[in-house]
Amino acid sequence: MAAEMMGVDMVTILVDDIELQVPKGELIVESVKRLGIEIPIFCYHPRMKPVGMCRMCLVETGTKQPDGTIRKMPKPQASCTLPASEGLAIYTQTPQIIQDRKGVLEFLLINHPLDCPICDRGGECPLQNNTLFYGPSTSRHIEFKRHAPKAIPLSEHVTLDLERCIQCGRCVRFTEEISGDGQLAFRFRGASMQPSTFALSAFESKFSGNTIEICPVGALTSSQSRFRARPWDLESSAGVCTLCSCGCNVWFDHRIGKLVRVNGRTNNAVNEEWTCDQGKFGHDYYNHNERQASVFIRTSARLESTSWTVGLGEIVTKLKSTGTSAGFLLGPKISNEAGFLACRAATALGSRQVAGIDSRVELGANFEVPADSLLSLEQAKVIVSVGPSLADTLPIVYLRVRKAASQKGAKVISIHSSPTELDEFAFLSLCHKPGTLSLLIQGLDGSLALEEVALQTGVSAQALKEAKTVLEGQGVSFIATNQVAHTEGSAALSDLRRLAKKLEANWNHFCETASGFASLASCSGLGMELQSPESILKKCLSGDIKFLWLVDFDPFELVKDRELVKQALEEVEFLVVQSAIASEASHYASVVLPQSLPAEGGGSFTNLDGQLQNFDAFLPKIGMARADWQIFAELLSRMDLAAGMFSRQDILQMAAKDVPYFKEALTGKQDHQPQPSGAGV
Amino acid sequence: MAERKLLLEHSHETSFRTRAGYEQTGGYEGLKKALGMERQAIIDEVKTSGLRGRGGAGFPTWIKWNGLPKEKKTSHFIICNADEGEPGTFKDKELIEKCPFLLVEGMTIAGVATQADAGYIYIRGEYLDGARSLRSAIDEAYKAGYLGKNIMGSGVNFDLYIHMGAGSYECGEETALMSSLMGERGMPRLKFPHAPLPTISGVFEKPTLINNVETYCCAPFILKNGGEWYATLGASTKNSRGTKIFSVSGHVKKPGNYEIEFGTPLQELLEIAGGMVDGDLKFCVPGGSSVPMIKKAEVERAIIGYEEMSEVRSMVGSGGCMFFNDSTCVVTFTWRTAQFYANESCGKCTPCREGTRWMVQILDRILAGGGNPGDAELLQQVASQIDGRSFCPLGDAAAWPVAAALRVFPEEFAYFIENGSSMVTGAKTLAMAP
Amino acid sequence: MSLGILKDVARPILGGMGITAKRLRHKKATISYPEQRREQYPRTRWRHALTRYENGLEKCIGCSLCAGACPAKCINVVAAENTDEDRHSPGERYAVRYEINMIRCIFCGYCQEACPTGAIVLRKEFELANYHREDFIYTKEMLLEAKAST
Repeated sequence: MAAEMMGVDMVTILVDDIELQVPKGELIVESVKRLGIEIPIFCYHPRMKPVGMCRMCLVETGTKQPDGTIRKMPKPQASCTLPASEGLAIYTQTPQIIQDRKGVLEFLLINHPLDCPICDRGGECPLQNNTLFYGPSTSRHIEFKRHAPKAIPLSEHVTLDLERCIQCGRCVRFTEEISGDGQLAFRFRGASMQPSTFALSAFESKFSGNTIEICPVGALTSSQSRFRARPWDLESSAGVCTLCSCGCNVWFDHRIGKLVRVNGRTNNAVNEEWTCDQGKFGHDYYNHNERQASVFIRTSARLESTSWTVGLGEIVTKLKSTGTSAGFLLGPKISNEAGFLACRAATALGSRQVAGIDSRVELGANFEVPADSLLSLEQAKVIVSVGPSLADTLPIVYLRVRKAASQKGAKVISIHSSPTELDEFAFLSLCHKPGTLSLLIQGLDGSLALEEVALQTGVSAQALKEAKTVLEGQGVSFIATNQVAHTEGSAALSDLRRLAKKLEANWNHFCETASGFASLASCSGLGMELQSPESILKKCLSGDIKFLWLVDFDPFELVKDRELVKQALEEVEFLVVQSAIASEASHYASVVLPQSLPAEGGGSFTNLDGQLQNFDAFLPKIGMARADWQIFAELLSRMDLAAGMFSRQDILQMAAKDVPYFKEALTGKQDHQPQPSGAGV
Repeated sequence: MAERKLLLEHSHETSFRTRAGYEQTGGYEGLKKALGMERQAIIDEVKTSGLRGRGGAGFPTWIKWNGLPKEKKTSHFIICNADEGEPGTFKDKELIEKCPFLLVEGMTIAGVATQADAGYIYIRGEYLDGARSLRSAIDEAYKAGYLGKNIMGSGVNFDLYIHMGAGSYECGEETALMSSLMGERGMPRLKFPHAPLPTISGVFEKPTLINNVETYCCAPFILKNGGEWYATLGASTKNSRGTKIFSVSGHVKKPGNYEIEFGTPLQELLEIAGGMVDGDLKFCVPGGSSVPMIKKAEVERAIIGYEEMSEVRSMVGSGGCMFFNDSTCVVTFTWRTAQFYANESCGKCTPCREGTRWMVQILDRILAGGGNPGDAELLQQVASQIDGRSFCPLGDAAAWPVAAALRVFPEEFAYFIENGSSMVTGAKTLAMAP
Repeated sequence: MSLGILKDVARPILGGMGITAKRLRHKKATISYPEQRREQYPRTRWRHALTRYENGLEKCIGCSLCAGACPAKCINVVAAENTDEDRHSPGERYAVRYEINMIRCIFCGYCQEACPTGAIVLRKEFELANYHREDFIYTKEMLLEAKAST
């Protein structure tokens, strides 16, 4: 409908003798949806270019003659590739079409094995559904079916069953058009055609999981959730992926309280319908066998199981004496509510020592909301991505950049010191010597001669000149993360920011963790600065911090300097380890608090462009575990620092009073409520 | 009427394969004339001549030539489809081996008329001799200034490249050919009305003209002698003009390429080829294996011409004319044809990929003596499920011969299914070729 | 008076005894269960069993269709993948757990109907009484037929 507003030419078509106004050039398979008519499909996917391979969507067509009669075309046409034009008449329900659909399905089933009882797709399979609705009741094929190897592990995550494949090419096109890695292709021809990787290597894609979801049969299945549940046994609950800051909308499919698999959920403002492999297969920690299930307290040398009352009581007593020297390390996956309450506790106690991964302190920069949203990034004319592989750090941003480049013609400039996926389609890729980013930026902003810069950085002067010209144009967006500071030093990141401001370009310094945006916003709302984990740990060593609370923060995993972590944890007087899974830090803990995970305890999460997304709990909590926000709400109540926090909504309301971001998010912007899944056939 | 040699007039003279020999017979006069003409005038000349595509579909050539943008905004390309893969057809082989200059000149004329920057000749991978002959012709043409920059001082630039196929029948389909030429998998692409015509967006997404070898070879004659002269050839037919080379094979005394004028009776073509070798004529496949077969009675009244052939429910096709005597088992013939198409299906669309294999399986079973009552109807229905439902014409080409055989000789199928042996040869089971 | 007694007391007794005497000639309708047992009808549906192929492999492929068809929702199947070293059924998949809650089961036989391999069958054993609720959860080990001793 957006097209009508944008003034696109409208044409009148006839669908089953009903007149319909549609934008010119719209594919007929999409147009008929406006009337609620369904055309069965296999190879067509709304987010990929149509190919017309499967012939399932055949319709009879005709054109309106000047005298008002309709002249039918002799052959049926594939509606997935047919653009709407003035006077086009479509017939979707004629006896001929019903017969043709039966014919195509009969052909497809000739070589499709009767695997349905053991196939992971059975029950949610488009081939099953279409056969049931449109197919013949029996097959006339009595000869041998084609046989091919079954259950080939295509990669760590994807299993290929060649017998089940109906050669629709969706997976091949996905790797060509969406993820861009071009990992899959067809081998052989005719009836022996099969999808495969080149030279039979492993299917190494960062987005391979999506091919499982778009496969219309059970040819590509997940190795992880293989045979774990039948689709009808699964309950799908809307959730948000918290493994990075993209905030992908996903469906968590669970059976009897256990997470089985994760599928992409459609949200055009975030992930469209895709997921990265990290998000799709990385949620197995829900079923970790060392999940923290009870409160532990240290008595002499041992950790002993205790109750929440005793555990929290001990913490409250300690905080009353050492509250001013209490430090909080905020984990990457904690909810907005927990992040806010931890910051609130730190201010109320007067210590004001909060740290997180996405700290901006060392950069000498304040928190800035990125200028672009994921949607507006698509409209950028020039996108400058700086730093290591975007596909690794922010996979969904990478997909957006790729879409902008391949579909909207954006020019991508990739600045890095080691090759990344962006180079494949980048307009310019400036690969500089490690440690010379600052110089390169000086060259780009004109303060150093290009020849000099070229000599020092190893980037050709020609490329620099070209980049400079492109950057002076309109619609430039910069993308950077803290990774730039980690690899090139914080000065380089500040220089980059200055360059973006000077060019009047959109500056996007994206967070990397799911808790990053809200922690930064909470800190700045409460007049603090989010420190880096290292600086807090150093303060533990110096004795400035005597009480350390690890809020689902595993320092041994997240801080590089292992020796520093070890010494700091040994040095600190009182250590609270709040975590979902037993970690090495528990050995140093004074109190261990079991925390539930988002699907079990709920929480709201803010993604990198500031969209607040609710995540309601649907899985049972493990043992005594509580949600991260519940722990802090109880702590603050017990210490009489705040009251009236009975639900997440109460906490958010409270946050809205202190933090401008939450006020805006709760009142202004729309929350992204899950819509029932219907897309992604 | 007898043979009317126009394209093949000098094909047996080895000197015709050299530039000097070619020029002696009036070669390059057409190009010289064309260079002195307005571009539109060349196209109009082709229009007057009534030339139609010789690759099989018989589409009026001038419409294609006229379809390229007149205002040149980007590069234009022309392609010669020399991926001659239709069983029974071998006319292009002779043309490129023995008359390479005809093709080079024809393409240059087309290049001039369509403002093309370069031409590609996509040759079937097995035609090594043809490619060599063409290579030396192109080299000579470059040396003499007939190709390259500033052709004959006219200011027109035109380059010609040879591209060898890799052995796929499907790559003779024009969009698959273009995909293959661009280095992609040889699969057909979307066509009008689903996508722009090749003349707007073809190879490398640039305006492209694509024609058969024989079509291009006609161009020098049309330019040299005028379109009106060309139109006098075959004037007796409804809408077919000029000459057509037929590759006559099968049970004939003198198989080979014979060029005849449109309007010649099919029976005469058989006589030109020396008549049947043994026995009596049973049926004829007049235009390459995909074309529906016709019985003796139809052969006797068939006139060669695009519209005339459809009166006997067949086609001119690509001119691969096969005559079979009464010792031929139609079921075996159909099986062999179906096998070819199953082998050559590219696998892109469902009806062709699965349907061609199924037809072979059914015919395999019938030939092995395992035919069931109703198999003939099943075959006929499978063929109709492919015909017109496939992505590209390969599906149609696979379905037509089977459907035609079932229509023309139903009794042979019925006999084989019932008795498990051939009605003609009496053979119990087939000695299957590997 | 005495005649009245005769009419009101003795006649009914004699009449009743008469019926008994008449019945003495008939065959008994009851049997003395559990010493004696009746022949079950061929299509009797009672306790489930998981059957095997002749070669000893399990027929069950762990497809859960029985659980899907079950109107009482009393079947729980957990599947796993066969390996060449540890092969339970012919294909790729087998049931690692197969449980039926016999208290919930209504013996409708839908599971048998849904089974694509004929693995689950309802047999004639009907004495399912037990003392503990937990004992009514029949596990795969209890349901699976013994391997044919060849």
